[in-house]
Order: sequence, then C-alpha cells, then structure tokens
Amino acid sequence: MSQSLRNLLFRHETILGLLLILALIMLAFQSDRFFTTENLLNQGRLMAEVGLVALAMTFVIVTGGIDLSVGSILGLVAILLGVFWQNIGLPLPLAMMLGIAAGALAGFVNGLIITRFGVPPLIATLATLALYRGLAEGISQARSVRGYPEWFFVLGQGEFFGVPVQLWIFGLCAVLAAIILGLSTFGRETYAIGSNAVASRFSGLRVDRALLLIYTASGLIAGLAAVIFVSRVSTTRSDMGTGLELDVITAVVLGGTSIFGGRGTIIGTLLGLVLMQALKNGLALAGVKGDGTIVVIGAVLILTILISNMFRRDADG
Amino acid sequence: MIRKTVIAAFALAAMAGSAYAASAWTGGDDLPTNPLACDGTPSAAVAKPYDGGEPTNAPDRKGKKITVVDIPKLIGIGYFNATSKGIADAAAELGNVDAKTDGPTQANIDQQISFIDNYITSGVDGILFAANDPVAIAPVLKKALSKGINVVGYDANSQPDARQWFVNQAEFNGIAKSLVDNMAKEIGEDGSFAIVTSTFTTPNQARWIAEMAAYAAKCHPNMKWLETVEAQEDNVLSFNQATTLINKYGDELKGLFGMTSVATPASAEAVTQAGKCGQIAVVGLATPNAMKPYVEKDCVKSVVLWNPVDLGYAALQVLRAVADGDLKAGATSVKAGKLGELQVINGSEILLGAPYTFTKENIGQFDF
Repeated sequence: MSQSLRNLLFRHETILGLLLILALIMLAFQSDRFFTTENLLNQGRLMAEVGLVALAMTFVIVTGGIDLSVGSILGLVAILLGVFWQNIGLPLPLAMMLGIAAGALAGFVNGLIITRFGVPPLIATLATLALYRGLAEGISQARSVRGYPEWFFVLGQGEFFGVPVQLWIFGLCAVLAAIILGLSTFGRETYAIGSNAVASRFSGLRVDRALLLIYTASGLIAGLAAVIFVSRVSTTRSDMGTGLELDVITAVVLGGTSIFGGRGTIIGTLLGLVLMQALKNGLALAGVKGDGTIVVIGAVLILTILISNMFRRDADG
Repeated sequence: MIRKTVIAAFALAAMAGSAYAASAWTGGDDLPTNPLACDGTPSAAVAKPYDGGEPTNAPDRKGKKITVVDIPKLIGIGYFNATSKGIADAAAELGNVDAKTDGPTQANIDQQISFIDNYITSGVDGILFAANDPVAIAPVLKKALSKGINVVGYDANSQPDARQWFVNQAEFNGIAKSLVDNMAKEIGEDGSFAIVTSTFTTPNQARWIAEMAAYAAKCHPNMKWLETVEAQEDNVLSFNQATTLINKYGDELKGLFGMTSVATPASAEAVTQAGKCGQIAVVGLATPNAMKPYVEKDCVKSVVLWNPVDLGYAALQVLRAVADGDLKAGATSVKAGKLGELQVINGSEILLGAPYTFTKENIGQFDF
C-alpha cells in the first residue's frame, strides 16, 4: 500500500466518515422515519446553531485554546436583541446587527484577557461564561421579549428552495471556514500557533493579533447563532444556550481536532457534528430515551478517539 | 338570551367594581380579585369561548390504541416523577394508551423543543407537555397540531392556540382559600398572622396575597393581618425575616404564611428554633419533602400544594378524551376516571380541583 493511500485511509476523518455511514445505516434500520428528506432537513435546522459555533470553535481549539463562554454569549446576544428592539425601540434589522456586534465585542474581550494578561483560555472563558450569563440575567430581569414581526421568523423557521434558511447560512459559513483554515495563510498561521506558540512568535508571526481575531470571530458567530436561535423559538430568554459550549466542544473533538492544538479540520468538525445529531435523533426515533442517548454519545466519543489514536500510533511507528 | 345578557352585565359590573382596588395587605397586586365562596361551592364559570388549537386532519382515534409521549420541563426530579407516575397509572387504568415519559435532564427550552420535534417525527398520536417557556414552545407544538397530533399541556402552559387543552393544577383563588381556611382552622377566627413572601412584585405571590386578602375579608373577617415581609427566595433571609417577626410581635403572632417553597420550610425552622412549636402555626406553599421533618414533629400541620400524581393522571385522561372526540370545544366539563368530572375554565383549561393539603397522615406517601 502506498504511503499516501495509507495516510488517507487511517486519517481520523476517514475513520469518522466510515463510522458515520455505519451509524446512519444502523439507525435507518431502527426506524423507518429516520432516513426521510423531511427528517434530515429538520435535523439540519436543529443543528445549525451548534454547527455555526463549532466552526469558530475549531479555529479556537486548533490554536490550543478553548472558548467556554460561547453559550453565555449566545444568551447575552439574544437578550440584547430583545432589549435593543423592544425597550430601546430600534428597528429590528439594526437591533440584529448591534446584537451580533455585541457578540463580537464579547469575544474580543475574551481575546484581550487571553493575549494581554496571559490568562489561560480555559480560565479566562470560564470567568466570562459566568460574567456574560450574569449580564444576560441582570439585563433581562427574568423577563422574556416576545412578539417579533412575522418576517423575522423566516431566518429560523423559513425555507429557501425547500431547505431551511439557517442551513444555507451554515453551509456558506462552513465552506468559508474550510477555505480559510485549510487553504489560506491565516489558516497555516492558526496551525502554527497551536503546534508551538513560542516558536511561532519567534518566527515573526503576529500571534496575539491572530488570537484576538479568532476569539472575536468566535463571539461574532455565537451572536449570529443567537439571532437564528431567537428566530427559531420566537422568544428571548436569559437561559438560552446554557450548556451549548459542551455540545460544540464535543462535536469539534469528535471531529478529530486535538485539544492540545495544532491539528484539526473543518471537515472533521462537520462529520462530528452530523454524527452527534444523527445519534441524538436516530436513537430517539428508535425509542431510546434521552438519558440513554447521552450515554451512547459519550461512548462513541471515547471509542472514536481510541481508534484514531491506535491507528495514529501505527502510522507514526 | 335576555337572562344571559343580564348575568354577563352583572358579572362585568362586579369585576369593574373590584378592579384596581389596591390589595388590603402589603405584597398583593392591584388586579381584580375573585374570592371563592366560603363553603367551597364552585363559582359559576365566566363563559369564555374555546381558545385552544385544533389538530389538522387528525385520524379517528376513538377507542383505538394510541401512543402518547409525556415531555415535562425536565426529568429526574421528584415533582415530575410524580406526574409521570400519575400518567402511568392512568395509562394502566385506560388500557388502550401506550404512554412514556422522556425529556431533558435540565429545565432547558432548547432541548425540550428537540425532544418534541423528534417525537413528532417518530409519529406519536398524542403529546403531553409542561412548558419551559410558553412562547418558545409554541412553534413546535403548532407543528405537532399540524401533523394531526393531539396536544395537551399540564403544570406550565403554552400559548393557548399552540395546544388543545391545558390541565390547570390550581387557580389563584383556590390556593388562597385553602391557605386562609387552614390558617383559620389552626389559629382561630380572631388570630393574628404575618406573611413571608419572595418580593412584593413577584407575579404569582402577589396574586395569591391579593386573593388571600379578598377571601379573608369575605369569609374570615376577624382574622388580623400584621405585616408582609420580603425574603427573596433565599433560605437564610427567609429564616431571618421569620425570626424577626417572631421577636417583634411576641405572643400576638399566632401564625405565619410561607408564600414560597423556600419561605415555608425556613419559617418552620425559625419557629422550631424559637421553641414556639404549637404556639405559632406555619401554613404555606411547599413541597412535601422539605416539610416532612416539621410535619412529623407536629410543628407544621398543613402544607398546601396540588397533588402532582393527580395532575399527571388528569392530563392523560384529558388527552384520551380529546383523542376519542369526547372533549370538544365548548364543553363545560370532562370525565377524568377516578377524579370524576373536572370543570372547564378560561376557555380551554381544565381545573384539577381544589388544592391538596399535605398533613401528617398523608405526607409520607409523597416523594418530591
């Protein structure tokens, strides 16, 4: 077997892809309602928000960092959207834009704390996880904003050529992210920082600037996800997006991105995301209860990483 | 026709008369009150047209076996274990319902929506829910209705048009009557009491206090209200506030109302620590588990809430009645198995009945 074929076969993404196909076949046999266009598109709708945030999270984790605050940013932006629109009385499109900008600002603050003060990303974003959620709860005073105009729901509940609107947005962002991470100079820089931040610094890469950009993008995209989310459920609540960061990180890590940085692809993240969503949905349709589904997802995560590590050691040796 | 008009006009006048009268007790709200009759005769329901939704092209399910899924706010807590048990009891009794409970492990609206969405796809005949958010859950419930699924809520409502019926566990005036009656029984018709609430503006508590003031004025006019204190929903603060009340009023204070599930056990603890068990009665809203120690020591005699097992039981009975076509828009009551006839209120809600009082005799049977 030639070396390149061998590399291709034993890549994490290939293993994950095979696992996904296996899971899809098995789930399709468990319930005849699983493999229908309607169900698959509907699942796409449900996974778009986690998916969007996972794209940015892939960059973050490739640099060796982590962003735990994305769920809280989502909650904060959702509340701000409502406040800007209803309490301050701004037109809704402007409120949406300002909300997303606020998300970017929240991400920028994460980046500042990490790069300027040298706080490890885990600690910095753990702190802002609490901070942003607290802000959201304080601003909202446990009141939710409702009564959005009909056109706004197109974003989260509408369809475009038969495909949910947010799936188009997600697809576009995924292609963009894949190009940036896989093909651009900035992408190479991201990998370099994750492999060895010190060496990158001494090689003349502007590490801090790149990190700032990535964390800002992470906040921005969490803001975008928030707007879609509000449109999908037609109301804002301060507890929106609680625990989102765990789903996102699971998808990214399942997709083969190394938590130590330097390794990972958008394709992998997409595969991880789809596998997770397919398991959640398929098992539910097959009659497995919610608590059982979580156990299976945990088991699959460990299994995938074990298999991947096994082959990697083979390949290295 | 003329009679109806006169009654309607009279009801309106009565409502207008009481409207915007500030509550006699601090901590009540200014909304119109509607105290129940002292002897508990149900008040004539104000007719309100059905405002629930309708499933589109629902198949004829009369007498046929149906699958029902129950999706509470969250699973794994005592309260919803109890409603789930009630649903299972009703399913066993009916014999033609295949019911199961599934849901998120945290009270999270995003996850609850995904669960409901998946069960719509899997093709259930009926959905029972307790909403984490009345508006956010509406689109997915409307989707269920559009697929011909029967949808019934309990415990926490959604927007009325997103479901068919809602089983309401207790009305504000019912809770108020139960609390005040129990207090009167324990401290006598001329006793003095104080209230520990969350804040003066918390909607549910303010509503209850206003209804209590109205009901006490009507049925126990000689009872004396002393003071209402705010204690957030904070354990330590509730305890301190109750202790302050005990010290401030001394022997004059005969009773304490706890308006939250935190304030009631904390007040009971304050009374216990002050050595005033038996001298100061504590009556309040609370869950049985928190109150068991005080009830078993005879420090607290009545804890008011509803029975969640009955709530779940009623919810499934209502769903079956809807699926069979026995409960239609405009009905005034529905048969709910061992609970008998339940009354329809507010257009598309079904009232579970009078609140449940937990006492030393029955509190051991509940675990939530």
